[in-house]
Amino acid sequence: MNKKLYTIALAGNANVGKSVIFNQLTGGNQIIGNWPGKTVEKAEGHIEQEGTKIHVIDLPGIYSLSTYSEEEIVSREFIAKEKPDAVINVVDASSLERNLFFTLQLVELESPLIVALNQYDIMENKGLSIDFEMLSSLLGVPVVPTIAVRNKGLKELFEKSKEVIKNTKKVKPILYGREVEEKINILTSTIEKEIDTFYPPRFIAIKLLENDTSIKTMVKNPDIIALAEKLKKELTKIHGESPETVIISERYTIASRIAEQVTKKKGKTKINIGDSIDKIALNKITGYILLLGLVLLIFYGVFKFGSYFSELLSASFELLKPIFIQLPLPPLVNRLLWNGLMIGIIAGVAIVLPYIAPFYLILALLEDSGYLARIAFLTDNIMHKLGLHGKAFIPLIEGFGCTVPAVLGTRIMERDRDRFIAAILATLVPCSARTVILLGLVAAFLGPVYAIIIYALTFILMYILGRLLNRYIKGSPTGLVMEMPLYKKPVPKIILRQTWVRLKDFVYFAFPIIIAANIVMEVLTELNWIVPIANFFKPVMTNWLGLPPLAGITFLFGILRKELTLIMLSTLYHTANFAEILTPRQIFIFGFVTMIYIPCVATIAVFKREFGWKRATVVAIGEFLGAIVLGGILNQVLRIFMP
Amino acid sequence: MGKKVTLIHLNPGDKAKVIGFSTDHERFKNHGVGPWHKRKHGMGMGLARRLQEMGLIPGSIIEVIRNMPTGPVEISVMGTRLAIGRNIASRIYVEKI
Repeated sequence: MNKKLYTIALAGNANVGKSVIFNQLTGGNQIIGNWPGKTVEKAEGHIEQEGTKIHVIDLPGIYSLSTYSEEEIVSREFIAKEKPDAVINVVDASSLERNLFFTLQLVELESPLIVALNQYDIMENKGLSIDFEMLSSLLGVPVVPTIAVRNKGLKELFEKSKEVIKNTKKVKPILYGREVEEKINILTSTIEKEIDTFYPPRFIAIKLLENDTSIKTMVKNPDIIALAEKLKKELTKIHGESPETVIISERYTIASRIAEQVTKKKGKTKINIGDSIDKIALNKITGYILLLGLVLLIFYGVFKFGSYFSELLSASFELLKPIFIQLPLPPLVNRLLWNGLMIGIIAGVAIVLPYIAPFYLILALLEDSGYLARIAFLTDNIMHKLGLHGKAFIPLIEGFGCTVPAVLGTRIMERDRDRFIAAILATLVPCSARTVILLGLVAAFLGPVYAIIIYALTFILMYILGRLLNRYIKGSPTGLVMEMPLYKKPVPKIILRQTWVRLKDFVYFAFPIIIAANIVMEVLTELNWIVPIANFFKPVMTNWLGLPPLAGITFLFGILRKELTLIMLSTLYHTANFAEILTPRQIFIFGFVTMIYIPCVATIAVFKREFGWKRATVVAIGEFLGAIVLGGILNQVLRIFMP
Repeated sequence: MGKKVTLIHLNPGDKAKVIGFSTDHERFKNHGVGPWHKRKHGMGMGLARRLQEMGLIPGSIIEVIRNMPTGPVEISVMGTRLAIGRNIASRIYVEKI
């Protein structure tokens, strides 16, 4: 290798252990970000060895290289444009047919390929064995058997990748049936003469026959499009099916043939424990009982753990306060340091982290064990009523902890539209900070029933909003099409690393925003601008919402973190006995409005990162206006019952 | 020849051959839940293609593992398990074998 920097991309279906291989290869050296302009997660890492740096990219888990999802587009554009020096195709040895369907497309893309035949142990449990040398010669690429979770075969995989990097031999195409191949050849030779793109001509030809709209738009050349249309008609005439069906079936035929040739039945199939578990876990009665129990247990555990550590950490930080106050600096600087910087840091470390960390850990456990997909399966019909599908349940549940990871969590959905709707609904789920308000104000001073009413109102609002968004956002809702992974025993090292990487991403992203916003607020306080700003909203606060005039100030602080509304209320009125300062109706309205009035600053920022400024602004302003309007109407109605 | 039915009409353990997908808009006008179903539906070509890519090509054999009364259908196809939302499942035609 004479070049100093190389790139390896990992590609493959979901649930094949791709991320595990990525983790094992790169260790902790990884960054999670987004693909430019896309809401698709990009995981990058690097390996340094003998003065060579190898950049490793984990492409999203996909089943095809068409244009069904953003993930697919991102993946094929990356491979075609950036031309990685090697592409490791991670393949699930226990379901070879499905996986080879994708491998064949990577071959079509003429990527420098190595196949990692992963989860070899699971395949052996099924009583099968694969002749991987024969597989290698049939595909024309190196094949390495691996068991990623136990770090087996990865060294060899890496060595083989280096060989592929050195070797620039082109992969031989795998041929379709005679009629299809004829059409591909005619089209390929015309494309070769007429246009020059980063995609291989044969790939373009196949995609045109497959009716790939984005390739069609890219090609532009009307003669080629016309030729493709003509050839497609001929194909339909011969096969009696649409050309894409013909090509997909032929590709599957090739995949099946190869899989059959290389797979041998060895021993007896061990009984699949997963099927027995699913008899209970996916049963229409016990399945839901189990799910409900588990969700309650998770909540209980996370809140117990969270509140314990939150108090402990807050108390420890409080000990630092005298030190900061006594620093030999001007009082103004002192206040900025403590109220701005330190309180911001404390908020992140002591209030947010204790809830997020266990949540991420449990999420990684659910994901790696295979139960997460079962949750999506069980909740699909409930989510369908919101116009979403089962996969949306998970980010919404995350929202009870914190809205920021919930918005990030919507990435598990394929379509931008579903993702956006799920993210908007996630901002309305009462996060732990809002739960604090409901418990500390409404439940404590009005009684738990009123807190439950506010919860219920929020859920009704989510339901109505879900339906409205579905009606008015362009496009149609997609249903659930999801592979059900096998149950797997989670590997602690991998779970912990996954948790750590996500947590790190969250800290890097959210902490600067929380801290900066805190400092800005402290500066505004120092400049005495808070009261004028709050006065601006006074008419709305007092006349329409029926709240005390100072409530505007608390709402302003609530943008930083929701629970600050409550804290500021007690600071401004010098009492924590809210019954003295608010009437029951005011308590109720205050509780309701803080639930929905605006996403906190970290949520707005993450919304911007995922969906862009325009949509983040629309959501923030929309929820603000919605809260004012609904809160006011509620106030006018409640007047009748609670004078 | 088996009867032509949709996926939701099969019971666990049933095996069937995939025939095709409904892209007929009118037929499903009032199927499913909620008013938005009136506007679109039939199966968009994108979705039909997706299902094919997951192995549901005309002629392939599937086995129903689980059919939730109001929820998704789980099938075995190409050696893997696939969960399909009820609405989509109701537009996949199969022939019981």
